[in-house]
Amino acid sequence: MESSPVRDATFIASAGKEADSAPIPAANNRISSDPGRPESPRRPLRWLNPGIILPLFAGVLFLLLWEYQVFHRIFDLKKYQLPLPSAIAEAMRDNFSLLLSYTGYTLTEAVLGMLIGSACGFLIALAATAWPRWGGGSLTMVAALNAVPIVALAPIMNLWFGDGIGSRAAIVTATTMAAMAINAYKGMAAVDPLALDLMHSYAAGKPAVFRYLRIQNSLPYVFTALKINATASMIGAIVGEFFFSSRGLGYLLSNSIKVAKMPLGWSCIVLAAIAGVIFYLVVERLEKAFIKWHPSQRA
Amino acid sequence: MKQNSAFMRERVLPLFVWIFGLLVIWEAVSWWLLNVAKTPLAQSKLPYVHEVASTLWKYSGTLLKEGGATFGNAGVGFLIGALAGVILAVLMSLSKTIEQLAFPYAIASQMIPILGLAPIIYGIVRDEQVSRIIISGYITFFPVALNMLRGLRSVDLSALELMHSYAVKPWAVYWKLRFPAALPGLFSGLKIAAPLAVTGAILVELMGAQHGIGVIMLRNLYYGPSHTYMFWSTVLVGALLGMASYWLMSLAERLVAPWQPEFRPKGGSR
Repeated sequence: MESSPVRDATFIASAGKEADSAPIPAANNRISSDPGRPESPRRPLRWLNPGIILPLFAGVLFLLLWEYQVFHRIFDLKKYQLPLPSAIAEAMRDNFSLLLSYTGYTLTEAVLGMLIGSACGFLIALAATAWPRWGGGSLTMVAALNAVPIVALAPIMNLWFGDGIGSRAAIVTATTMAAMAINAYKGMAAVDPLALDLMHSYAAGKPAVFRYLRIQNSLPYVFTALKINATASMIGAIVGEFFFSSRGLGYLLSNSIKVAKMPLGWSCIVLAAIAGVIFYLVVERLEKAFIKWHPSQRA
Repeated sequence: MKQNSAFMRERVLPLFVWIFGLLVIWEAVSWWLLNVAKTPLAQSKLPYVHEVASTLWKYSGTLLKEGGATFGNAGVGFLIGALAGVILAVLMSLSKTIEQLAFPYAIASQMIPILGLAPIIYGIVRDEQVSRIIISGYITFFPVALNMLRGLRSVDLSALELMHSYAVKPWAVYWKLRFPAALPGLFSGLKIAAPLAVTGAILVELMGAQHGIGVIMLRNLYYGPSHTYMFWSTVLVGALLGMASYWLMSLAERLVAPWQPEFRPKGGSR
């Protein structure tokens, strides 16, 4: 059961950094060696390199094709089915303050749930490392919880915690726990055996080994889990709001589709994406601040 | 034989105790909520385990049929999405231009709540079958593509040089070296995507479909306390579908790519 979806999920999180680098051994998949294209500051038009200009160009082209209804003609869609970008921007402008407050609400749920879930996951990992024989079972249970669809969790959490902010926070907690538990466990288990031997030779007890060795070693893994959870928690919060909520982006999204206000629905998607990216970037910045010493953070 | 029994004692027994203990606690809390605390809707909040089990057994035909519908649709979408992901990964590994074009968006799309798109796609297509397949495929697509690309890239350099020194044709490099090297990555992508595909399919069903486990889940939730055991059974079936899809992918991985370190028998004490 150690080979869980979450352990593998480190692949996703680190793929962005590494995929454009040369082939690297699969084993050290966290250590990002990013030779990339040497971006020397002396080159004046640095941002003109194909790595930036091509996707930018593709994005603008995509938006233009969308705006001038090329997609609508290909897939035989009506404008009320797939609204134009300009209509979405207009809907965003018109409902700006409402959208902003709902984004804040959803983001609060996501952050709260993620903090609780990650803390629980970390404690589970601690227990599993300290008492491998019995704690290991809890890891398996958490991995099983992770396979439960969010949509099945949502009604239960609503029954338990009412339709306030608590039920969505609980959904997010349940969905983020496993990633943290399994990643942190990996980090605590994969300590350098030599370091462990050294600790033993100094007659360090279990608490000291945890304090000085295992927890430090788990930090990079913990931040990987936090990065995975940052996006997962937004999804959990929004999907939770589909069912029982009177506020939030997910509520507005499902509601505006029911009354056929597609531009408003799309603006919810856009804002959710922006909020998710900001959340992710904040976690990444924290990672940079906390584990400066790690090879993946060196320039 | 001896090793096997030791394995049972070391790994299976604690797990069994965990599950059994949880069930007992569940049953006890359920009894407590109903008879001592007298919480309103006690059985909806935490029903008796034995009642849920008996409902599960009684309606196993219906649940199996609807669960099968969900699983089938999720599976079709999953296969289409996985195939598309693999093709995109191969294209990206072949051409730098395609990669530069597609990769930033692939990463960015990881940030977008994919499940948030589900109601919109349902709103566009207005056909439960097709939209379930589209969502499942869409969810599958990116994890598979990213992990597969990683795998294709992570071949051993010296193996590549050996291939070149034998003047091997490019397709043979792919077939004999890169694809086998990419299999672990592919499977980790598939293992992430499989439970998600089931989630996506159920989500579309909740939006208003005719068949599927999500439909009876929603109906029994709205019919109130009298259907609470049935509701919990559908939740259980949904959970089992998610786990089954993950387990299926692990099994396939074991069969297709059995050389990975985690499948080797563990030697020594632990």
